[in-house]
Amino acid sequence: MLKFIIRRFLVMIPQLALLSILIFLLAKAMPGDALTGSMQANPNLDPKVFEELREKLGLNDPWYEQYGRWIGNLFQGELGMSYIHKVDIADLLGDRMANTFWLGLVTLIFTYLIAVPLGVVAGRWNESWADKLIVGYNYVSFAIPLFVFALIMLFIFGFGLHWFPIGGSVDVTVEKGTFAYFLSRIHHLLLPAITAALLSTVGTIQYLRNEIIDTKLKDFVKTARAKGTPEKKVYSRHIFRNSLLPVAAFLGYDIVFIIGGSVFIEQIFSYPGLGQLFISSINQRDFSVVNILVMLFGFLSILGTLISDIILSIVDPRIRID
Amino acid sequence: MTFLKLENLKVYYPVRGGFFKRVVDNVKAVDDITLELKEGETYGLVGESGCGKSTTGRTLLGLNKATSGKIIFNDVDLLSLNRREYSQYRKDIQMIFQDPYSSLNPRKRVIDIIAEPIRNFEKLSSKEVKRKVQEVLEKVGLSPESIYKYPHEFSGGQRQRIGIARALTLNPRLIVADEPVSALDVSVQAQVLNFMKDIQKEFNLTYLFISHDLGIIRHMCDRIGIMYKGRIVEQGTTEDIYENPQHIYTKRLLSAIPDINPDNRDKHMAFRKQVDAEFNNSFNQYFDTEGKIVDLRPLSETHSVALP
Amino acid sequence: MSKQPLLKINNLSTSFRIGDDYYAAVDDVSLTVNENEVVAIVGESGCGKSALALSIMQLHPQERTKMAGEVLFNGKNLLSLSVSEMNKVRGKDMGMIFQDPLTALNPLMRVGQQIEESMKNHLQLSDAEMKKRSLELLNKVGIPNPERTYMQYPHELSGGMRQRVVIAIAIACEPKFLIADEPTTALDVTIQAQILDLMRDLQSQMKTGIILITHDLGVVAEMADKVAVMYAGEIVEFADVSTLYNNPLHPYTRSLFNSIPSAAHGQDRLHVIQGIVPSLKNLPRTGCRFSERIPWIDSATHEEHPALHEVEKDHFVRCSCYQHFHFPKDAEDLKYDIS
Ligand SMILES: Nc1ncnc2c1ncn2[C@@H]1O[C@H](COP(=O)(O)OP(=O)(O)O)[C@@H](O)[C@H]1O
Ligand SMILES: Nc1ncnc2c1ncn2[C@@H]1O[C@H](COP(=O)(O)OP(=O)(O)O)[C@@H](O)[C@H]1O
Ligand code: SF4
Ligand SMILES: [Mg+2]
Ligand SMILES: [Mg+2]
Repeated sequence: MLKFIIRRFLVMIPQLALLSILIFLLAKAMPGDALTGSMQANPNLDPKVFEELREKLGLNDPWYEQYGRWIGNLFQGELGMSYIHKVDIADLLGDRMANTFWLGLVTLIFTYLIAVPLGVVAGRWNESWADKLIVGYNYVSFAIPLFVFALIMLFIFGFGLHWFPIGGSVDVTVEKGTFAYFLSRIHHLLLPAITAALLSTVGTIQYLRNEIIDTKLKDFVKTARAKGTPEKKVYSRHIFRNSLLPVAAFLGYDIVFIIGGSVFIEQIFSYPGLGQLFISSINQRDFSVVNILVMLFGFLSILGTLISDIILSIVDPRIRID
Repeated sequence: MTFLKLENLKVYYPVRGGFFKRVVDNVKAVDDITLELKEGETYGLVGESGCGKSTTGRTLLGLNKATSGKIIFNDVDLLSLNRREYSQYRKDIQMIFQDPYSSLNPRKRVIDIIAEPIRNFEKLSSKEVKRKVQEVLEKVGLSPESIYKYPHEFSGGQRQRIGIARALTLNPRLIVADEPVSALDVSVQAQVLNFMKDIQKEFNLTYLFISHDLGIIRHMCDRIGIMYKGRIVEQGTTEDIYENPQHIYTKRLLSAIPDINPDNRDKHMAFRKQVDAEFNNSFNQYFDTEGKIVDLRPLSETHSVALP
Repeated sequence: MSKQPLLKINNLSTSFRIGDDYYAAVDDVSLTVNENEVVAIVGESGCGKSALALSIMQLHPQERTKMAGEVLFNGKNLLSLSVSEMNKVRGKDMGMIFQDPLTALNPLMRVGQQIEESMKNHLQLSDAEMKKRSLELLNKVGIPNPERTYMQYPHELSGGMRQRVVIAIAIACEPKFLIADEPTTALDVTIQAQILDLMRDLQSQMKTGIILITHDLGVVAEMADKVAVMYAGEIVEFADVSTLYNNPLHPYTRSLFNSIPSAAHGQDRLHVIQGIVPSLKNLPRTGCRFSERIPWIDSATHEEHPALHEVEKDHFVRCSCYQHFHFPKDAEDLKYDIS
């Protein structure tokens, strides 16, 4: 197992290296550079000043030198400076990373809290009215665009009913470290998390439902019944366990999916996380930040698939990795 | 002239392992076999599942890579040819697969399924292709109108005949039939077996007939090779094998076939027990010092056995 | 001494819902199995053999299945039992062995757990007792290293070993009655011989009544005391094994014998049964169901509503016109069916 993980991490290195080069070149190929933004902001400044600045920042060096410098710094833990915010990227990321992490985690929990029971009900009593309702919900949640749904949620529960705050990650008035602070954070998390969760259940529900319907017809379920096993146990011990297996393996992919979704969710709910930072950095052409973020997202995606493989090998005795 | 000869054929599947997934071992699926087929005959390859029958057949068709050895067809060693030269011979050898349900692409119409080899090997206009497909369909006893149907519209026996039609389109001379009737019911099985005998006579086909069913093998084959763990342990005419088996594994295989006469039940049981005992006692003497099954030794003109 | 039969099926019909209608897959079947007796059911696939077996165990999906008639087990009608009462019978008084050992075992449970599940359902035993008994069972079914296999998962075992485990599960609570649905169809001949030997040994030790389902007439010849030939949901011929093999009468039975290579020694051509087993929906429900497949027999000779006639003692044939039956002389015309 350890060997497997190490090997997977080793494989990850070239993947990430390739990704980093791609990102770097892509960023370079974009019109404008880190200074374009400030140039437009201060049209009165002499272009020469910028030229000197460019020289100083090394922006005129060939791309591979710049790339080498960037990677070298990354390895020393120096993520570089944000040209726009004029702060260390590490500082910029710190809090937001935590915010996004919590949002992602809570979203994931809600997703499974909703999807697993619904999938189980739909699969066990398929063709019933409950099943039809759930399948209906699935269609709707699949068809509706994320930002439309998020706006509706925000409008109803934020602006309309005032149940949840309409932005931010915590109330500015509460003191850090207190219980009220903790509550406030959760309060801010809930609406975006539920919104994202309601839309990320499709895959899990559909998959679980189909798995259960298939598993119900499997021979070993007949064997279990032929032993005189009560129906309840036939489901809990044989059908559900076997059907949940591939779903468990999806966890890693779900992580990837939710990270992707966070970009929009955070934007709409003005939630200060990595996703929001990502969008604003793109808008401001803050490429040094964008690069780091894409690297981070890429890393997490690869990590997600790795987690999936590991989970599968733990829950399924047929799959042994060594 | 040699019609077909496999000479010291070995086919190993690599087993990978360790940190860098290097080849750490080999599955010796086919481990040095030599056999010869005469034109127009049916040679049966029998043995338990996993003994290497399919691998042998697939290697003959170039679907598996031979590790070493020769496949001599029409006096030419196929393994020494390059791709272009090979494809010339490749159409003389066709395969019929076991499962008529999964070996036909359900999304393709009959005409596309059967025309596939023609399109691969011959350049014909679509009209000619259609005519040719209808021709072979008639040969296998299906109506020429069925070319636009899909496989699911046919019964199991009919599907297997579509598979055979596909194999026949290029006028092959050798057909490798890998368990062609194992997935079929007895009555359908009878139909396909009869049919295979008919077309053999009609087109002077040679069959390499792979099966684990000794009843079918006896019915179909002129000569038989008994395969065990990648080796051939006994080879001879159908009579040699069924009336005068010499290798203990052959005897065991034959004694395992249920006797169709219920009045012989006790006798057959006793016989089987006796063979099993013999098998367990003398098993080891059929292997050489490295644990490999010994080479075949001729007993008569037609009959040879792997005896020490 | 007249003993009570272990299992007595009276006029059992099982129908499945297809679309809005119900179609009988088992049609008015009556059959008796005594203690220590092997009754084989043979027929092509789709004849309703498994449907019959699952009806006895009542393992059909309830919402799409209708059953009529009686299944008397030790005098008690199983069809009138509630689900939980039936659960007390399944696994305890009757066990079932399935065709495909690859799929009949739960891939996520250890062999030991799967054997013990049945004991947990029916017997009050401590964990240690259950384990001891499981190991004994594994030993009994010929598993070379029971301790090890007890902890293994199904995928770690070969097909033959798995089928032994399936048998161990079926006999875990020492049932008096077993149903084996094509227990060796998926296995090699040598393994088949071993499994059949095992079943025979167990049967003679435990005096079990067995229904053995198969399409292999060789297996029947080796195992059965009595044989029921099934076609299109009905029993068309029933006799003890020796009578049936020496004097098969029903056209379907005789066609089956003529189509297998091992019975056709030296014969160049095998008999081909025309057409295919009709699907449930297309099954003719009036007259003789087999008549479509023997078109060369004059239709005037067919019985209108063929009933099981006792043509000699304990030998039943469904139809009286078997007397007119013959195989077609002009086989060439019937070489292939172009249906
Ligand atoms: N693609 C493959 N990779 C590795 N091993 C294989 C492969 N195909 C077959 N084998 C192994 O080779 C042996 C022979 O297989 P096969 O030729 O399929 O036997 P048969 O047709 O007689 O059942 C078996 O041990 C099988 O597990
Ligand atoms: N649950 C079911 N629903 C509908 N049709 C079924 C069901 N089970 C079996 N059948 C049909 O009943 C017939 C008999 O099937 P089966 O008993 O499985 O045949 P056998 O075991 O003899 O091969 C077939 O036509 C099959 O398609
Ligand atoms: S009644 Fe007629 S059709 Fe039916 S089995 Fe007898 S001979 Fe055949
Ligand atoms: Mg094979
Ligand atoms: Mg069946």
